[in-house]
Amino acid sequence: MMYTMQDRRRFLATLSSAVAAGLIGPSNSVAQEAPPETTTIRLARNRSICIAPQYVVGGLLQAEGFTDIRYVMTDAGMGQSKMLASGEIDFTLHFSPILLIPIEAGEKISIIAGVHVGCFELLAIERIRSIADLKGKTVGVPDLGTSSHVFVSSMAAHVGLDPAKDINWVRSPSISPMELFADGKIDAWLGFPPEPQELRARKIGHVVVNSSVDRPWSQYYCCMLAGNRDFIRRNPVATKRVLRAILKATDFCVSDPAGAARRMVDGGFTTQYDYALQTLKEVPYNKWREYDPEDTIRFWALRLREAGMIKSNPNKIIAEATDWRFLNQLKRELKG
Amino acid sequence: MRAALILALAVLVTAACLLLALSRDAPQHASLEPPLPKIAPAPEFALTSQDGAPVTLADYRGKVVAVTFILTMCTTTCPILTPMMSFVQDQLGRDFGAKISFVSITVDPERDTAEVLQQYAQSFGANFAGWSFLTGTPEAIRDVAQRYGVYASKTANGDVEHTFLTSIVDPHGILRVQYLGVRFDPEEFRRDLLSLLKE
Repeated sequence: MMYTMQDRRRFLATLSSAVAAGLIGPSNSVAQEAPPETTTIRLARNRSICIAPQYVVGGLLQAEGFTDIRYVMTDAGMGQSKMLASGEIDFTLHFSPILLIPIEAGEKISIIAGVHVGCFELLAIERIRSIADLKGKTVGVPDLGTSSHVFVSSMAAHVGLDPAKDINWVRSPSISPMELFADGKIDAWLGFPPEPQELRARKIGHVVVNSSVDRPWSQYYCCMLAGNRDFIRRNPVATKRVLRAILKATDFCVSDPAGAARRMVDGGFTTQYDYALQTLKEVPYNKWREYDPEDTIRFWALRLREAGMIKSNPNKIIAEATDWRFLNQLKRELKG
Repeated sequence: MRAALILALAVLVTAACLLLALSRDAPQHASLEPPLPKIAPAPEFALTSQDGAPVTLADYRGKVVAVTFILTMCTTTCPILTPMMSFVQDQLGRDFGAKISFVSITVDPERDTAEVLQQYAQSFGANFAGWSFLTGTPEAIRDVAQRYGVYASKTANGDVEHTFLTSIVDPHGILRVQYLGVRFDPEEFRRDLLSLLKE
């Protein structure tokens, strides 16, 4: 029975590929591998290290013909999306919902691939054992509209809470919410690497949700590769080359996490080798081929609607702001 | 009337048997797989084999060739790749060497001399009739690795970290598919190699 299912899935996948191949047509010709239209590429860097593939991709981008690779300092939330839309950065791996909110507002961002799941952990005091227990509790966030606020709101709405009324948000732009939690000033906090690793090492709090392993969050991409829409339109060859480099970098994170962690330290993206290595071993970086990125858009668009953060239906976002051409080509060209 | 019916039935049964036999003999899924894409002309190289002979990619025109990058001192995941290719080498039977070849290029040319590569190859049962292990100057190696899209870099302690990438080049010298890492399916790899012989 198992084999029958597998065969059927494979048959359908093959059929889809064949149809896609037919539709893409000439783009699979040798001519598509022209040099990139631009040799400059600008990527985001910020305090999140779960976007490790973006930090170890330098050598692979050089191999793709990029000679001027720049990292532009961004925040880890909505500001990064805005910089992407305005063209201050060309591409970034970013948390899906934080891309969807500005996309709905008309920002020129295109999502071109899902890259990895996981990253986020909700840590809380002992009394909080589930998302529903957050009702009436204090949750620390750097600000409203940040990744952690959007994610906790989505989780809360998903279990029937009203995130605006049922949770006491503690906004802390200057002091890290992690420190507030460590000092016992808030009840819960959602963080991304390296902070949850650090708090766990300090044996503070306990993990209520780990988005790498806990459903439904673990079934959808956390970070997707998004680009400035005008850049993608003007530079299709460069776009494909960037995506290929990112996918190879993602594989490098899986094949050689110690080497990737070392690269991140050497590149100045983090000073904490141990937490970087732990992150690389814990975050599932091997899922880029497994999940359907459209499912992720659909899932998060619905969660954001539940939380009252967007109004669009998922199909509109998919139609206007996704471009899977490059991913579909690379799925055929890069196996493994 | 009855004879015609028996004849029609016989034709039907024969056709069904033929179809069944064909579906058994054909590689599984082969008829459903779209042809491998044509990515680009494969990057040329001119390097030195494990027995000191010059080798270029052009030497392989007319054959399907799998190009991969290794280093003999690697103790983590590299030792998975070469045995896997050795397994596929054995599965290919008479096609190996005659129609299909493997090329393993070191990314650690300073330590992987021709002699070292020869010992390494022998330890994995490589058949030199169809499998070459190549080295060259650091510049030549860096150049070919980069053009195939492989990242390799020397660390402070002298080790080399690199990405894994195995590329299949068709008999016309066109790069057709690349396999990331070392976890790819050997059966799919073998099927892809054979599919190019049939084009």
